[in-house]
Amino acid sequence: MKAVGANVLRYDGVDHVTGRSRFVDDFSLPGMLWAKALRSPLASARVLRTDTSRAEVMPGVHAVITHSDVPKNVVGHQEFWGIAADEPLLAEHEVRFVGQLIAVVAAETEAQALAAVLAIEVEFEEREPFFDVRKAWDSGQPQVTPDGNIYFYYPDQPQRQVRKGDVEAAFTAADVVVEGVYRPAAVEQAPAEPASALSVLEPNGRLTVHSTSQALYYSMEITARHLCVPVGQLKFVGGTVGGGFGGKIDTVTEPVTAVLALKARRPVKWRWTREEEMLCSSTRAPWHIEIADAVTKDGWILGRKTLTLHDAGAYMRTSAYACSKHTFHLAGAYSVPACAFNTFVVMTNHVPTAAMRGFGVTSASFAVETHMNRVAEVLGMDPWELRLKNANRVGDTSPTRVVYANPSTVTTLLAAADASGVDLPADLRAMSNGKREGALLPAHLVEQQREPKAHPLVWRDGRPAPEGSN
Amino acid sequence: MAVHRGRGLATIEYPTGMNQGGDPSQAWIKVKPDGRVDVFSGTVDLGQGSKTVHTQIVADMVGVPHEWVTMNNADTDSSPVSFGTFASRGTFIDGNALALAAYRVRQRLLELASRLMEVDPDDLEIADGDVAVRGAPERKVGVDEVAATASWTYGEMIVGSGAWMFPHVEPDKETGECEPHAALSYASCVAEVEVDDETGEVAVTRLVQVYDVGRAINPVLVEGQIQGGALMGLGLALLEESYPYYPDIVHRGPEFGAYAVPGMADLPELRNVVLEDADPVGPFGAKAIGEMANNAQGPAIIAAIHDAVGVWVTELPAKPERVLRAMDERRQPRRDGRRVIFDDHLSVATVSPPEKRPEGGRSFPLVGAPR
Repeated sequence: MKAVGANVLRYDGVDHVTGRSRFVDDFSLPGMLWAKALRSPLASARVLRTDTSRAEVMPGVHAVITHSDVPKNVVGHQEFWGIAADEPLLAEHEVRFVGQLIAVVAAETEAQALAAVLAIEVEFEEREPFFDVRKAWDSGQPQVTPDGNIYFYYPDQPQRQVRKGDVEAAFTAADVVVEGVYRPAAVEQAPAEPASALSVLEPNGRLTVHSTSQALYYSMEITARHLCVPVGQLKFVGGTVGGGFGGKIDTVTEPVTAVLALKARRPVKWRWTREEEMLCSSTRAPWHIEIADAVTKDGWILGRKTLTLHDAGAYMRTSAYACSKHTFHLAGAYSVPACAFNTFVVMTNHVPTAAMRGFGVTSASFAVETHMNRVAEVLGMDPWELRLKNANRVGDTSPTRVVYANPSTVTTLLAAADASGVDLPADLRAMSNGKREGALLPAHLVEQQREPKAHPLVWRDGRPAPEGSN
Repeated sequence: MAVHRGRGLATIEYPTGMNQGGDPSQAWIKVKPDGRVDVFSGTVDLGQGSKTVHTQIVADMVGVPHEWVTMNNADTDSSPVSFGTFASRGTFIDGNALALAAYRVRQRLLELASRLMEVDPDDLEIADGDVAVRGAPERKVGVDEVAATASWTYGEMIVGSGAWMFPHVEPDKETGECEPHAALSYASCVAEVEVDDETGEVAVTRLVQVYDVGRAINPVLVEGQIQGGALMGLGLALLEESYPYYPDIVHRGPEFGAYAVPGMADLPELRNVVLEDADPVGPFGAKAIGEMANNAQGPAIIAAIHDAVGVWVTELPAKPERVLRAMDERRQPRRDGRRVIFDDHLSVATVSPPEKRPEGGRSFPLVGAPR
């Protein structure tokens, strides 16, 4: 019997529903300490003084750490891609968002750790925060980072951009230009299991880290960089996680408990409260997206201009990555022959934003699709027809010049019409994903067409691609 | 007071794997002397079921019953690199690494069986835990016997490893040109809503959703992603916001009681259709379903609200207050020659006009012409 395509029993399903699966918080060790954190109450402030001396002598306290205890405090989440590290694990001379970590205590009970956190003294000098991405260019705005409020992808070009075709000609030729603004909100990943970690110093000097990470090797690499140890010094344990939705890529509890375990010479567990998970961890970014489409009255999209402002929050995390991905998908499931897309990463004093399901594209899909429906309204055209005409087809090219080899926009639309009882006219019903021709190949789409090429990594007859490609 | 019904449409595409590639996954597989198959992979199962999907891929590629396959993904000492469980890459990229490792195990099993059976390996096939001669299924030997012979007679370990990566690309600075992904999945969504014009409340009554996933390795798990994604997309459209007064930071919800995620009572009638347009690169033709499952509902619901009561709510979520305000204001787009300009009041050009910016904001691309 074939397993692929069959509804075989979920591998860990019985363990999950009977409570037998072991998540990070199910592991405990003799002598284990509990961590609790002091976080910033302010969205922007200088930190003038931090005094942990009272906390250090509180009952049950074994270690208190601040930034000076972290061997390498500033490690980036995107350094692999050449994006400079900007975020301290524990705040140094300033805080840039409410909830930013300042100090962490390890004590014999969570109550003792919390009592010690409350005994830490911090003196702030509050600054005016910056929140509205649309004001990033205004004179006299508070500066979130020493480098300003706008990230630069290149020294002389702040935005990630796409340029395809003759955009100005498209807008000159248009019968109508439709413009709109789209603002999807920040939301929580809200996993059932909050971020947690347990770090254990082994007798041989290695460190075992039980982690809720969605990416064990990635989080291990970041932790090793904070500790300034070879990656082989660490062993990450995990792989069974109670929901992530992107929120468990950020690597915080692992390096913090590792530093505490090394200082206290005891196992240290830190499990975030629901409040910490909701208020202090990354959210999905809020976005501001403006679209202008050059369209003809018979429903062809000749060109599209966009402006996106991505609210990165106070530190970069994975924002530059998300904005590139966002930009590449601003044509949606359609063939737009002329594109001018500009996407800016804007720093604010919100909690840093990072990955969540659909990272960078959820916002693009919302903006593009709502705009398509508006274009249909303005033209007095059926939104099914507008979509089916402009839908990407074999041999069309994406904004970044990917040649579509097997798109299925038309197929999914026709199936959706069937399933929802929409009676499409015969000419729409007869459409396919195949190469454009005749009335579906107007002059403005000729130049963007290319011959799709065979993918080099294709499986054939159950055999992998030729040796060397893997 | 009246309840108005409306219907809206959205169509989306979504890439598999990390944007710009460069995100490898690796796997290795060993076969025990009784033919049972141990898989080692660094993939994290977040609850979406990657352990199940991955063991299914291995079972069929090796040719053994699914119950024979064990997944070991618990630690980095024994499991190789997975770049991570995100970017809709688990089934596709990790799956490809596993399929390749399993393919190599199958090849070795065939070679060993060939020795045992004195039949050319090209004339053999493996299925359901047996190696049999093509066209003569009664001439067969169990994979358990092959594995036992390998261990106890030949003194050999049966092992296979595989890795898969879509190579990293850098986009062109000026044009953005690059091939940033290995495959695209597609979806269409039709939302039906009821809007109460007195309270502004929106109830989603039905979602028709069509997903092309390439190949549904496990149809029930695909269905699970679609159902979960539908609720998450509904939350994005109607309920959830980390900053209720964005961009201000006041009144954030610190707990589920103060932050509205959808509950089961919000689940509309679902009509889900899964299409399988096999991808040439993905394992057994699979693409991805994970992330895209919450992308199409938002715009379809917003279009349905417009169909019902004639207003566009383009700041999410479309909570009752926003719907009522939009119905009170009845904003019309501004017309300027050929231009039809929606949402003037939200635009950067209005909130931050050029005179507020140094050098008149010349370096800043406004989308249309001046507003």
